[in-house]
Parts: sequence; C-alpha cells; structure tokens
Amino acid sequence: MMGTMNLTRSQPASSPTALFHEFFSMNLDEGSSPFLTPSARLWSSKLTLKTSFLAAIILSAAFALSWTPYIAFSYFLLLFVYFFAGIPSLIEAVEDLLDFDVNIDVLMTFAAFSSVFIGGSFEGALLLVLFSLSGSMEDFVVEKAKGSLNTLHKLAPTRATVFDKKGHPYERSIQDIVIGTPILIRAGEVVPLDGLVIEGTSSVNLVHLTGENLPVRKSPGDQVPAGAQNLEGTLTLSVTHTSADSTLRKIIQLVTQAQESRPRLQRWFDRFSRAYALIIISLSLFFSLILPFVFNIAYLGFEGSVYRSLAFLIAASPCALILALPIAYLSALSVCAKKGILLKGGVILDALAQCSMIAFDKTGTLTTGQLATDEVIPLHDNTTLLNATELLSIAFALEKNAVHPIAHAINRLAKEKNLTAPPLTEFALIPGYGVTALVLFKGKQYPVYMGSFDYIKNETSPSKAAEIEKIFNQLREQGKIIAVLRIEKDLFVFAFQDTIRRGMKETIQRLKSAKLWKLLMLTGDHEVNAKAIADSLGIDHFFANLRPEDKLDHVTRLSKTNGLAMVGDGINDAPALSRASVGICMGKVGSGMAIAAADVVLLHDDLDQLDWLMVKARQTQKIVKENLAIALLAIACATIPALAGWIPLWVAVVLHEGGTVLVGLNALRLLR
Amino acid sequence: MGNSHDHFKGKGALAHVVEAQARGIIAASEIHGTEIPGSLSAAFDSARDVSVFSCILILFGQLHFLPKNNLFFEIILLVVGLLIWKTGRSAWLAWSRLERLHDLLKEEHWEIEHNRDQEREELKILYHAKGFEGELLEQVLDVLMADNDRLLKVMIEEELGLSLEVHEHPLMQAIGAGLGSIIAGSFILFGYLVWPFAGAYIAGGVVIAVSGYLSGVYQNIHLVSAVVWNLALGSLSVGSVYFLYNFVKSLGWVS
Repeated sequence: MMGTMNLTRSQPASSPTALFHEFFSMNLDEGSSPFLTPSARLWSSKLTLKTSFLAAIILSAAFALSWTPYIAFSYFLLLFVYFFAGIPSLIEAVEDLLDFDVNIDVLMTFAAFSSVFIGGSFEGALLLVLFSLSGSMEDFVVEKAKGSLNTLHKLAPTRATVFDKKGHPYERSIQDIVIGTPILIRAGEVVPLDGLVIEGTSSVNLVHLTGENLPVRKSPGDQVPAGAQNLEGTLTLSVTHTSADSTLRKIIQLVTQAQESRPRLQRWFDRFSRAYALIIISLSLFFSLILPFVFNIAYLGFEGSVYRSLAFLIAASPCALILALPIAYLSALSVCAKKGILLKGGVILDALAQCSMIAFDKTGTLTTGQLATDEVIPLHDNTTLLNATELLSIAFALEKNAVHPIAHAINRLAKEKNLTAPPLTEFALIPGYGVTALVLFKGKQYPVYMGSFDYIKNETSPSKAAEIEKIFNQLREQGKIIAVLRIEKDLFVFAFQDTIRRGMKETIQRLKSAKLWKLLMLTGDHEVNAKAIADSLGIDHFFANLRPEDKLDHVTRLSKTNGLAMVGDGINDAPALSRASVGICMGKVGSGMAIAAADVVLLHDDLDQLDWLMVKARQTQKIVKENLAIALLAIACATIPALAGWIPLWVAVVLHEGGTVLVGLNALRLLR
Repeated sequence: MGNSHDHFKGKGALAHVVEAQARGIIAASEIHGTEIPGSLSAAFDSARDVSVFSCILILFGQLHFLPKNNLFFEIILLVVGLLIWKTGRSAWLAWSRLERLHDLLKEEHWEIEHNRDQEREELKILYHAKGFEGELLEQVLDVLMADNDRLLKVMIEEELGLSLEVHEHPLMQAIGAGLGSIIAGSFILFGYLVWPFAGAYIAGGVVIAVSGYLSGVYQNIHLVSAVVWNLALGSLSVGSVYFLYNFVKSLGWVS
C-alpha cells in the first residue's frame, strides 16, 4: 500500500490534471488548453475581444486615411478589417444558413459583405466591427458566468475511500461506487456521496448545502448528504445514492437549469431579431425581383432593382438597433460599477425595474452567519465558585483547537478578552458530542466536559434533566444554540446566537419606508430562529425550514407572479439567486458560488444602495425604449427613400449613421 | 461485452492502444513536417518559401516577363503577399492542430466517463507491458482509476503518446512565420540592391542554406545533407522555371 499512498498524493493546483477540470468546465476553451504552455494560455485570454478592438483601430486608421490622398492605402487597411471582424461572422452566418437558421447575424454579415459591391465598404466594415465587438463582449460575460459551476464542481470530491476484501481502505472514483458500498469519511473530509451512517459518531457542517453554519451530530442510522463536511470523528457510510443522483449533483443541476431559464428580454430580442432578419432579407429579394415591374426599371446598373435592394438591405441593417440596447446598458453598468455595484449584463437592470419584492436569505445576509457567545448560565449551585471569565477560560482551553462554529465563537470571545487557556491533561474527543479533559486551574485539577447535554443526560436525575430541558427549550425559542460545560458536578449553559449584521435594521427600515418593495426572508433555519431574526429586523413575512429546492420553488413562484429580487450569499442560495428575476449577492461576504450565480454583486455589501439601483434601472429602461424608437425611425427614414430611389446611397448611409450617433448620445445621459 | 466490442471497434485492447498511439502522433504532428518548436519550424519554412518565390520573380524580371525598372517594388509586394499568407496560414495550421488535440482529449474524456471497464483493460495492457503483474498491477489500476483527471493524463500521455503543456500558442507560430518571411525578404532585397540579379540569387541561396542548417541543428540530423538537399531543391525549382522558359520559347509559344 506504500506505492498506493505515493500515487494518491494530490496534484498541485497548476498541474495538467487540474487543468483538465477547468478545460472541460469552460467548454474546451483554448485559454485553459492542457496542451498549451502556461505562457501560451495567457495569449488566448480574451482573444476575440482583442481582435475586435484591433479591427476597430484599423478601421479608424482606414477612415482617417480616406480623407487624405492615400485613399488607396485605406482600402488596403479595410481588407484587414473585413478579415479580422468579418471572417468569424461569415463562418457563423454560413453555419447558421446550413442549419436553416436565418437570424440577425446572417442579415448583418450579408449586408456588410454586400455593401462592398455597391461602394459602401466603410459602412460594411463599421457594421462588422460593431457586430464583432458586441459579440466578443457577450462571449466574455458568458465565460465569466461559466465560472459558477466550476466553483461547485471544485467543492464536490471526485474520490471516496472504500474498503478492499481485507478491510484495507483505498480510494476509488465516485463514479465506480454503487449503492450499498461502505465508504470511510475521515475528520475534515467533505462527504463525497449521500449515505447512511453505519459506524461512528461525528458532527458534520452542512453550511454549503443549507447555509446554516452549525455542527449537526450524526450517528448510526442518520442520513448524511454529499457536500457535508465531517468535523471531528470518523464515519462509515453506506452509500444511498450514486454520484449522478447525489444531493450536491442535484444542486449543480438546479443552478444549470436556473441559468438556462433566463433572461426574458434577451429571449424577446432573439425572437424579434430572427423575425426582423427574415423579413428584411425576404423583402430585399422580393424588391429586387418585383421593382422592375412596378417602376419600369432594369434589374442591373446603379438605378437597377438589385442595386436598390442592396441599398435597402444595408440601410435596414440594424446598426443603431444593435447599438440601442448595449450602449444604454453599458453606460448604466459603468456608473453602477463606480458605486461598487457590479451587474452581470444590462438586461439585469431591465429585470430589476420589474421587481416588486425583495427576498433576503437569513444566515450570512441579514446576519453575519457567525455564532457569538450570548450568555453563560449556571444550572446548579456554583460549588466551584468560578466566575464567568474563569468559565470562559476553561471553555477556551477545551475548544481552542476545535474547528466547529461553537468553538470559533468561544475562541473569538476569549481572544477579545485576552484570556489565557489553563493547561489540560487527558484530553479526549467524543465524536458527535464534545470533549472531556482534566483542567488545572488555580492549583486544583477539575474533570471537565463541554458539548451536548445528551452525553451526560444519563448521569443527571430525571427531574433535574427535565428542568434543564425546560431551560434549553426557552433558550431555543429565543433562537439560541446551546452547549453545556460541566466542571466536576457543576453545570453551566453557554448560549450562542447568530448576530445581526451591523446597520441591517436601519437598511430594512429604509427599504420598507420607500414602499417600493414587499420584503420577505427565506431561510433553511428552523422557525423559532427565523421568527426571532425577522421580528428584530421588522421583516413581516418569512419562510423557514427551507431546503435549497424549497427555496428555489418559492423563488420561482414569486419571480413569476411579482418579479423578485433575491439577496443571498451562500452556496445553498446559488440556485435561488440564479432563478430569481434578479439575484443579488454581497461581494465581500458571498461565497464564490453565490457571486457567480448572482446577477448583481454589491462589492461593499451596502444594501442601502438598492433604492438608488432601482431608480437607475428604471431610467435605463426608459432610455432603452427611446433608443429602440430612434433606431427604428432611422431605419425607416433610410430604407424607404433608398428603395424608392429618392435618395442616393450616401444620404441613406448618413441617415443610418445619424440614428446610430443619436442612440449613442442618448445613452450617454445614463452616465450622469 | 457489447460495449467493449463497440469501444475497441472489433479489435483487441492491445491493437486499440497501438492505434490510439498512432492517432495521437498524427494529431500532434506539424504540417511543416518537423518536431522542433512550431515558431522556429514556421520561420525556417517561410524563409525558404520566400527565397524560392522571390528568386522565381527575379528570374521573370531577368527574362523580361516583368519590367525590370519596377522589379525592386515587385519583390517587396511579393514578400508582403507571402508574409501575410505564411503568417496567417501558419496560425491556422497551429489552430487546426490544437483543435485535433482537443477533439482527442474530449473523446478520451468521454471514454473515461462512459467506458470505464474498457479503459481499465487498456490500462492493464499498458502497465503489464511496463512489468507490473498480479496484485501490484491491480493496485496500480485501482489508484489510477480513482482519479479521472489523473487517468485522463495517463491515457493522453501513454495511450495516445501526446505531451501536455508543450505547445506554443498558434499566434507565436504565426509570428515565427512572419519573421522568417521578413528576414528572408529583406536579405534578398539587400542582395538585389547591392548586385542586381546575382546578388539576389546569392542572398536567396544563403537564406535557404542557413534555414536548412538551423533546421538540421534543431532536428539533430546530418547537417551537410540538410544544407545541400535544401539548396538543391531551391536550385531545382528555380532552374526548372528557367529551362522550361527556354524550351517554351524555342517552340515559339512566347516571344
């Protein structure tokens, strides 16, 4: 097995094997090709965007030279514009046509290349550059969005420890593991497959799945989902779902489905552009065939129907229309970015303008998600005569090396109070329950235990146990988490509570008083805790005990009926953030997965910027509508006279470009 | 075993591995026909092409096919045309190769995800050939099969015979081709300016000889043979044009 141990050593992050994962999750993107050297991979970064900018620079140079005696050289440069910006479009257009898909890409490419034949090479080149720039920016955004699934895949272990015939543990790919196979989960490991505990007791943290950062005890007979982190003991699970059906896999599927089901405006624009392209191309063909019969003109020549139809096609190419949406959104996006609000695409602003509800995740969003030591309550007469600080010192000694959230709370408080941990002997971990030790304090040795009351319940009289349970229930109703410290015979309760984020109460009040949205809270936490937090913040509506799929159902329903902005931070929020009309995530505290799945990222975690964002979203929507009207008007003004032969092509081009300039200037108002 | 038959396409696992290695070698090979770094290969190849084409153009000038007074600019235009062609084509060839490699990787990844038993059989043959046997062989297979990414690396390197993280970016190869064209073109133009016609032929010969020599050094082949064969091919090409012209002229087909 020594050979096995050496071979199973994990690969460094930059190894080719680590690259495979990225390469496939980025849909075979050249920038993560395992065959290229690391420096060569950098060359591939945003290559289409760089090429588009290069084409734009060459076009500018060609245009400048066209006003000098070196006009012939400007045509030489134009050749490169057509090559860099036009050939990729041409390939896509031909592929679309082979699939019988006539869309706006085909129309633009056809119009741009046709313009060469009627002396409009610059117009065609401009169309291609604008088209190439908008396409490469879209690719860039899509590439960023794909990073979300990569984050989740990295969380999911790909191997599990199983046992050979002699009972020796070894690793297997989770794909090779069938239902019923026993798998070993060591302390600190993430559970790779859903399973039922058949041996061992330990605490697991389900923060990635439920958002609740709390230790949950698991003992034989309990179900443990894939993605849970085993905190201290060793567990043996009997696999209940294969890798294809595991809980984590389902979350990945939910995010994928949610990402694929948006956005509405984009779908509308796709449908519109398809219909528009088909109508314009059909009309061009129709006019080129029919005009000689209507106006008694020839097919060929500068007054011919083919020339006029091509002029119509170029004038109708949706240059301003294509610019109408992105330039408005781009202006709004840049002003938002200056305020520390990142939006993943302009259509998000449109969706935000439609929202009438805001749903908040509880843990990590409204609260910090970190437990804080709330109070220490003695349950018996304090025969050891220790005060609260001394009790905390002993608790600190017991928990200083532990990793679960309760230990973190104790350790934080002890460090704040600058306490020193007294020496321990005979320290023992009781997986799933707590820890025991002998503590040397003030020259005397005390046997101590800290953890769950269940472990010492049998050593307490039934009447005393019932009395203690009553106190526990009262604390739980206040939304508190409990741990017991026993020193000799004395019992003390440490109560912990999730802390509300600083300034959140004021933020919620401001949002309520704006009367723009109905506010509600969605949480995986139990109802008592949820109510306590909702009451203290003044949120009127809440849903508790929600699994990720329940949260997703609520968000889907509310998004359809009201338009819902969902604010969250955890991996468990990712499907809901993707499915909501608008997913909003706080950048500083959010998990990588939630940030990737959200539509809006508040870089400074400043939720009071929401009302400003709403106004900007409405303003953007208004300007987009104005721009669409200007673009359509410009197209109408250019196409009809060009077709009728009332105006020469250059006038049609000026009208066409005039519309483009107006659209641009109008959009710049959003920068204010 | 139905799946196994489909996967191996009626061949045994060993024959499948041999075939896969051959496919890997074909996918990784360069159209320029060498295994030296792509940018250098492209540079030498471009330099040779530009030299031969320029010499043929100069020959046309010498034979009065083209007006002699414009020959200098005609050479420049030819070099520019060739520069763009060689640069672009070199990049395209490199991207095509990368696409082929990505297709192979994708195919192998799919096999690992869906034909695990067959992949294990192939691994067994590869590692049996390395001297692993019995329980140790099974242990090695278990370890390799446990991690799909590591398994993919093993299959790519050992079954397909490909190397990871060694290829230059296609644009780097294109730059190599472009520089080769520029250096060769400049050298020939300089030769033409110093000693019209003869100077250009000599410069073209020097470029062909030097690029043949450097290719030989990188490929570790016989240097004299590399230089002489390249010069001979260039001379054969230009000489053929000259003597065929004389033949056609003797028939009275050209004046």
